[in-house]
Amino acid sequence: MKKINILKPVLVSNKERALQNRKLFDRMHSLVINIISSPGAGKTSVIYRVVERLRARYRILIIEGDIRGQVDSQRLKKLKVDVVQINTETACHLDAYMIAQALPTSKKKYDLVLVENVGNLVCPAEFEIGEDYKLAILSTPEGDDKPFKYPLLFHLAQVVIINKIDLLSYTDFNLKKAVTQLKKQNPKVRIIVVSAKTGNGIEEVCDYIIEDLNARKKKSHN
Amino acid sequence: MHEFSVTQSLVDLCKQEAEKNSMISIKRINIKLGKFTGFSPDSIRFYFEILKPDSRLQDAQLNFKEIPIVIKCDNCKKKITIEEPIMICPECGHSDIELISGREFFVESIEGE
Repeated sequence: MKKINILKPVLVSNKERALQNRKLFDRMHSLVINIISSPGAGKTSVIYRVVERLRARYRILIIEGDIRGQVDSQRLKKLKVDVVQINTETACHLDAYMIAQALPTSKKKYDLVLVENVGNLVCPAEFEIGEDYKLAILSTPEGDDKPFKYPLLFHLAQVVIINKIDLLSYTDFNLKKAVTQLKKQNPKVRIIVVSAKTGNGIEEVCDYIIEDLNARKKKSHN
Repeated sequence: MHEFSVTQSLVDLCKQEAEKNSMISIKRINIKLGKFTGFSPDSIRFYFEILKPDSRLQDAQLNFKEIPIVIKCDNCKKKITIEEPIMICPECGHSDIELISGREFFVESIEGE
């Protein structure tokens, strides 16, 4: 019997593809945000609100990941920005290959690429797609213990949006407890509290994104 | 559920490496899996049984070695093994923490003939 040392990550091919995606995005000077939450936390609604405010100033591409159907992409197409729908059929997350295939072949450049991952708090955290960072959304009816129960995503996310704050008084969600837990798992995390329904807090999300976009623009001019 | 695609990647990687090294039959796949990943060894084993009917892999067993979550505190410089992924130093309470291990998921080696 012989033994061969391999020392390669199991997800090596996804990682390599994600790096290639990254290079492509870098050439376009695009900011790519991988948006992850459980089903129904409000990913599409947050994206809608953000794009509504940013579309006049920036070139935006939305990549929609769903197991089936075009429901979300049809809703987002009303915003008159480019929207690509990926149907993963059985897969519970987007991977780097799906993103590579979904990218428009035209030479069009985008300042901002928003990727709405499949609704799931587990798997999308493990699969890099070539993003700049992960943005997690947690909604008040889901409970304040979600970060505790799904530590990896909330550890990796650069930004966590707490959505449906308009429903706070109807739920047992303890905002202080959630924020404390998030900070414990991810001390540098930026937490933004919003209601995609009323639009409250969306401005802060936009400002955060704009700051990044402006920094990139400066860099690309140099 | 996501372990299915992960197990597929695992099978592909092992097949490729066996082929490269002219290993006809893999008996054992040694995997290092960090405690701070979203993967369960049991699910990987389950899908591996479904995916392994292949000449090179049919006798293969999966051997998982768990890697603990270890953090290093930037303040007190201590390396500490923790059970829950809380990024606050249990010694001095500082939050400038570097994650040293726990996120690994790789094939260390394959054994066979």
